[in-house]
Amino acid sequence: MLLFIPLFSIDLFADESLEDLMNVESEAKVDIGSRDGAKNYFDAKSAVDVITAQQIEQTGMSSLTNILRYFVAGFNAPNPSISDGSDHVRAFTLRGMSPDQVLVLINGKRLHTSALLHVNGTIGKGSSNVDLDTIAVDAIQRVEVLRDGAASQYGSDAIAGVINIVLKGYGNKNKVIIQGGERQKGQGKRKFISGFISIPLKYDGFINFTVDTIKSDKTQNAGLDRRLTPPVVSTHYGLPKATNYHLLMNAEIPLESGSLLYSNILLNKRASQASAYFRTPDPSRAIFPNGFLPMIHANIMDYSATVGMKGEIFNGIKWDLSQVIGQNSFAFGVTNSMNYDLNSSSPTSFNNGKLVFSQYTTNLDMKKQINDTIALALGAEYRVEKYNIYAGDKASYIDSGSQGFAGFQPANETNSRRENYALYVDTTFNFTPKLSTELAGRYEKYSDFGSTRNIKLAGTYKVTESFRLRTSASTGFRAPSLAQSNYSLTSTYSSGNTIKTKGTFKTTNPIAIKHGARALKPEKSQHLSLGGVYKGENYYFMADYFYTRVNNKVMLSGDIPINIGNITDMRFFTNAIDTKTEGVDLKGVYNYKMDDDKQLDITLWYNYNKNTILQINTPYITQANSLTALDRIENGQPKNSQRLLLNYKTVKYNVTYNFSRFGSYSQVVSGVSQRFDPVMISDAQLSYKITKRTNLSLGGNNIFNTRPNKWKNSGKFKGYNGILPYSNYSPIGFSGAFYYVKATMRF
Amino acid sequence: MRLYLVIIRSILIFLLSVNSLFAYQSEDALKVAVMGKIAKYISWPNETSSFTITILDNPFGKKVDIAYKGKKIDGKKIKIIYINNIKDLPQDTKILYIPKKDSYKLTTILQSISSKNILTISDIRGFAQKKGILQLYFLSRKLRLKINLGVAKKNDLQIRSVLLRIVKIVKDES
Repeated sequence: MLLFIPLFSIDLFADESLEDLMNVESEAKVDIGSRDGAKNYFDAKSAVDVITAQQIEQTGMSSLTNILRYFVAGFNAPNPSISDGSDHVRAFTLRGMSPDQVLVLINGKRLHTSALLHVNGTIGKGSSNVDLDTIAVDAIQRVEVLRDGAASQYGSDAIAGVINIVLKGYGNKNKVIIQGGERQKGQGKRKFISGFISIPLKYDGFINFTVDTIKSDKTQNAGLDRRLTPPVVSTHYGLPKATNYHLLMNAEIPLESGSLLYSNILLNKRASQASAYFRTPDPSRAIFPNGFLPMIHANIMDYSATVGMKGEIFNGIKWDLSQVIGQNSFAFGVTNSMNYDLNSSSPTSFNNGKLVFSQYTTNLDMKKQINDTIALALGAEYRVEKYNIYAGDKASYIDSGSQGFAGFQPANETNSRRENYALYVDTTFNFTPKLSTELAGRYEKYSDFGSTRNIKLAGTYKVTESFRLRTSASTGFRAPSLAQSNYSLTSTYSSGNTIKTKGTFKTTNPIAIKHGARALKPEKSQHLSLGGVYKGENYYFMADYFYTRVNNKVMLSGDIPINIGNITDMRFFTNAIDTKTEGVDLKGVYNYKMDDDKQLDITLWYNYNKNTILQINTPYITQANSLTALDRIENGQPKNSQRLLLNYKTVKYNVTYNFSRFGSYSQVVSGVSQRFDPVMISDAQLSYKITKRTNLSLGGNNIFNTRPNKWKNSGKFKGYNGILPYSNYSPIGFSGAFYYVKATMRF
Repeated sequence: MRLYLVIIRSILIFLLSVNSLFAYQSEDALKVAVMGKIAKYISWPNETSSFTITILDNPFGKKVDIAYKGKKIDGKKIKIIYINNIKDLPQDTKILYIPKKDSYKLTTILQSISSKNILTISDIRGFAQKKGILQLYFLSRKLRLKINLGVAKKNDLQIRSVLLRIVKIVKDES
């Protein structure tokens, strides 16, 4: 630590001019973790991190998922391919836990999840996560990450942590971004155009609009298809071709009374397409006798609308009343395909059905700083969730269904609904200037599975003015999603070199019940964290140990062989296993200001996490039928990761270099496990201020074109003996470097 | 891995070899510092023997005392007074800081000190438009100032032109 002690400091009042003061940046603060006001990294009772708009701008990334992947050690978001819907909605994990064990907030309010349930063999299989790419990145002021269990404060899902996305507020300059780039060999071209406009209102109110479009070409990393003679590349394996449109509005209208009316609206429309496996030539196919490559289309519509009002009443009670409505719909389509059983009368384009998830949340928060010692917060929440499956065209599901992705059938349709209400209390006691504790409790009642009570006790002790210890212990839960309870689909799938048909059944389906399905219970969790933070004048260092136990984690069962109609196997969701996750985060930040115009910021971050399955609670998951799934939980993600973030800025220049290392990971295929080496990648951007209003940037992600290991005996193992050279678990994808040029104009 | 270690070692060597200025400050530290700095740009009509800064419902803990202990403005010793009721405002107050938490009673506070030649400072949203004089706010984590010249003039406060180049001027709506 001695290495980091600055050699001198200054007295702000004595040494700095007013203009100098106005050039000093204030410390980043977060609003999550406790309800007694925004806290910086030192005062927070749990480990918190902030990613600022300035940092986001220096990445050249237009995907929030990618931004978090490179800024947060322990955040993992692979880019799977040939995985049906999971190609188009990125699953992400924090600390190696499940994607649905992370709560995401927009301006402190719960954001709905995607309607998509990941059911292919990808990281996050069996879960639905928030689709972070529905958010326009240039609308973001900062992203706050709470690395602690917080379900006793925020409700379901906040097990691995909480991500709070704070939108730009008052006074931001209007901005236009134009960016274009591509990968090697001209692949993966991407165009990104974004506009941000802020209209000031009375009393520092504002209404901000962000609109953008992102057009991305596919990347191609497929290996040779050895089913063909001679072997050729027949299939698409890489990033999908996608078009994204975002529209985001954020407004705050201060009223004469001192109260504040606020609202935000997020809209995202995405059209994305990726392939299934190539279907080999067969003269008996009337439409495609020479073979064909089915293309799976995802048409995603997502919106979230928040309206609320907050203020303070005469005796210092702050109140906040809000209503949030959110919906995500995911429509499947397949083109360049056919239904074998319809043969010559088969269409080649199919509507394969639609998934829709809707969420309506009413929330009332009240808090009061009673005196210097005690702060009290109370709240209530009422939430309604709906989940719908709509069937596709008849041709997409009858008999063998459309090749590539069989449509949802009328029997799969569901119109499920549940509601829940919550009451919570959060109190902070500052017993002494050094000792601060927090006690939080939350009661929730769900219409489908009943009630749950959770509690959190946290404390910090300021050993010296520079060194603080912190700890927390809590219980939590995750309500099984409506999708997990109500999803069903019969689909074709590949096993070895044959195509089979299997079904995912609702837990309430009589056939599933006959084979052991039961109504899902909530996942229950216990958390413990212990850590400390040491700060100097220009640096700080955090070290945190964490332990999380999850009981009754929901998983898809293994395939249960049956012979009913055309179904050869069935599976259903079940409270399958108990898990333990433990690890450490070590993070150091150094801000070196050379003079008023030059500054170097350095962040070093190490994360270690280890998932262990403690026990299997159901006979429908065994090492025999679920080895791949069980190993995915324990070994499918890097157990350690490191980040080195460097930024050097002057008046004219801004240089960013981010280095990421992801530890090794494993994947089991056909009962055989392969371990993949750690991967290290570098991202860099150089920005130059051409005029007062215009910046030009050159940059790249994964600039040294790092690729993960291929499968051993590459080309003769995965995907019909070699179509898939890389593992879908790769934490950096497998599409290599992306280089771009970007112009940013402010006015 | 070797590259990784080389990079870390290079950074440590670099950090050992440099001096550093402050990069980041807490919002409170910047607000407290501004209270003293701003006085150099303003002239008050009444001559007093000391320079009194009054803090209403102190939101800063000991930060103001620490920053101004033993300091002077215009050759006058700085006196810091903490009050919890505007009725207790010292007569010789030059600067009154009104915290955000008093926004619900702002109108009452400002009416009670109208035309008393006091520079009011606050981080209350819309403060300058609500007939306060100097508003502090943060934009991209940097401190920014708004000033209501009309209200300053009514209080016979003279603002030096150099200040007007770095603050945002709010029209007097009264």
